[in-house]
Amino acid sequence: MSKRIVINPLTRISGFMEIDVTIDQNQVVDAKTKGNLFRGFEQMLVGRSPFDAVYFTQRICGICSAAHSMASSHALEDALNIEPMEQGNYLRDIIHCCEFLQNHIRHFYQYTVPDFVKIEQNSLFQTDHDDFRLPKNMNDRISQHYFDSLKFSRLAHQMLAVLGGKAPHNHGVFIGGITTQATAEKVVHIDSILVRIARFIDEKMIPDVYDIAHFYEDYFRMGGGYGNLLTYGAFNHYKELGTLYVDPLVSTMGSVETFDESKIQEKIDYAYFKSITNSNQPNEEVTEPDMDKEKAYSWVKAPRYKGLPFEVGPLARLILSGAYNNGISAMDRTIARVLETKKITEIMKILLQQLIPGVNVQKKYELPASSSGRGLLDTTRGALGHWLKIRDKKISFYQIITPSTWDFSTRDDQGYRGTAEEALIGTPIQNPDKPAEIGRILRSFDPCMSCATHVYSPGKQVKTIKVF
Amino acid sequence: MEGQILPPESLTNEAIAERLTSTALESLKKRMIKKKPLIYLELNGCSGNIISLLNGQNPDFEYMLNSMVDLKYSNSLMAAEGEQAIDKLINAMDGEYILAVEGAVALKNNGLYNIIGNWDGKPLTGLQAAKMLGERASHILAVGACATHGGVSAAKPNPSQSVGLQRVLPDKNMIKLPGCPVHPDWFLGTLAHLLLYGEPETDNLDRPLMFYSTLIHDRCPRRPFFDRGIFAEKLGDKTCLFKLGCRGPVTRVDCPTRQWNGHVNWPIGDNTPCIGCAQFGFPDAMAPFISYDTTRVVKNE
Repeated sequence: MSKRIVINPLTRISGFMEIDVTIDQNQVVDAKTKGNLFRGFEQMLVGRSPFDAVYFTQRICGICSAAHSMASSHALEDALNIEPMEQGNYLRDIIHCCEFLQNHIRHFYQYTVPDFVKIEQNSLFQTDHDDFRLPKNMNDRISQHYFDSLKFSRLAHQMLAVLGGKAPHNHGVFIGGITTQATAEKVVHIDSILVRIARFIDEKMIPDVYDIAHFYEDYFRMGGGYGNLLTYGAFNHYKELGTLYVDPLVSTMGSVETFDESKIQEKIDYAYFKSITNSNQPNEEVTEPDMDKEKAYSWVKAPRYKGLPFEVGPLARLILSGAYNNGISAMDRTIARVLETKKITEIMKILLQQLIPGVNVQKKYELPASSSGRGLLDTTRGALGHWLKIRDKKISFYQIITPSTWDFSTRDDQGYRGTAEEALIGTPIQNPDKPAEIGRILRSFDPCMSCATHVYSPGKQVKTIKVF
Repeated sequence: MEGQILPPESLTNEAIAERLTSTALESLKKRMIKKKPLIYLELNGCSGNIISLLNGQNPDFEYMLNSMVDLKYSNSLMAAEGEQAIDKLINAMDGEYILAVEGAVALKNNGLYNIIGNWDGKPLTGLQAAKMLGERASHILAVGACATHGGVSAAKPNPSQSVGLQRVLPDKNMIKLPGCPVHPDWFLGTLAHLLLYGEPETDNLDRPLMFYSTLIHDRCPRRPFFDRGIFAEKLGDKTCLFKLGCRGPVTRVDCPTRQWNGHVNWPIGDNTPCIGCAQFGFPDAMAPFISYDTTRVVKNE
């Protein structure tokens, strides 16, 4: 007999999400992930000064704001034909590293750990399910780390502010790199914090995730999904350093190839948008939100690469960079996020060593009358792209495809489910009245529905949008 | 003014937060402070204020949780999910509680542009939740620009028809803490004041005077450059950023002395203009954030 389970809200994520699954004989047979929030950033950006995009788009997301400043700076550099000095790249990427550290530490301890560890200090951590398996001393130790970790995620934001002014919503990242210069004082300020964070990761975070994995070993067999992996590249293509992490790559059925941005499409068959008939300039066309649309169930659209749904994020990056080969599952995803946190500290250390004090990378920039550009890079949750057009020195078009749009996409006209939806199919549910499995699997993707559902992009009659 | 903390020098860095925290600690020992229930509602926004709140240092989130409030509901942090989470929210309404709201209230489609959960099998919109919880709250804190006046969620053309919290609760008193995001000290310091001494003194726009009394421009360390007419021409310059569009002259908040993230830096310290994120009207009234050409001759003004 089939049964429907609706979880709304899925807590401990950024933003609002509902999950609607059908189970048959205690196994998931269908799943829909639904984005439940819409603000319409891309519509808001039209008519604004292109320079303002860097600060404005950060407001899409409180936990990954620097990511949007990175992507919009890259897009503007492309549109303005500016090549940043390498010192600018290093400084900006250091800020981005700080955000990775803040985000991953918080996602692991504040969002993931309460799924597996019974934190008894406070009623905030009461759960409905009782599938807690850790021995008491281990459970208590990791509970304490929930609180200990707050200091380190806070310090990660402090490092970010040393170069970026403040966090969330930094001011430092801009066209050309950042707005401040390296000094010995700043470098040691950051490095002294970095040493402490790296120690916390080695001594606490990595042992904690492997202890959890040991007692929840069945999660290595859950939440796999299609297994298609994609990255736009991260900390790569430095002039002298080469690639410190991963190049732009995709993997389908285990075969890896170079990523080609012309193969991205975005579909809206099942998203709350209506298309407009006229399409002289399809990329300029603006769709209207439409919650009454038949079949539609979410604010999240469906990006596809060569027509297929892809997984993005730390696990995709680790596998594509050759640093991880255990498999693709909910637990692998969580482990990968923790291992990547360590990797980021190592990258950051290298970047800090390249800094030359006192180099001002800023210039007085001129806006072209018209132009277009795009910024594609991997950020905490995976592949993030900003596409923009400038007309009369104003933004005339802006499109954002976030990592969570990839992972939490709706289904499409070809019958493919979204990546996370597919990952739920076949999951055994122990107790359908108190299902612990669904939330655990979805959180392994680190959903950011603030990002995924704040986008607003053009459609055309065929409901398939080719992005440039 | 009675109760106002002066002179401004005493507001530097952690002064207020530490003063309030140490008093709170003492009071707790003497059992003067009683933990109160807090409902933290996230509506149409980026959840950046609760992330900023996690950046709190003195006090930090752990202290807040253990010594200041019983946090009954938080979409970002609570372990419960789905129906059980919403049950906790509804049950919390039975007793006295402080309501903190971040994010704007989306009015479009009767609130359906922002669904915060399912209640009795039906979608619970941010609009419904804000009205229902706001009516019964003993105190209301509007946290961050979206909650105080719509903020970025209401930026033109405002596709979700977002408004600030006051618009849907016109008759309720509320303390407004604008900022994008709020500084953790502004939120936690105000909360401490509520718990220890009741509502803090506010200005005629409901902002606590202890944080929002003074223009950034009046305490800006780069003020001497302004007074001598030495202006930055690009981001990254170390002089007055007025001609790049700095909103310090219209923004009342204590960033110059308090600074951010452990009090290490702030936007002007990072050689960028203040964009007025703690001022009503942000972002549209503060745009463009950055311009290289504000020295044009302005007519009709």
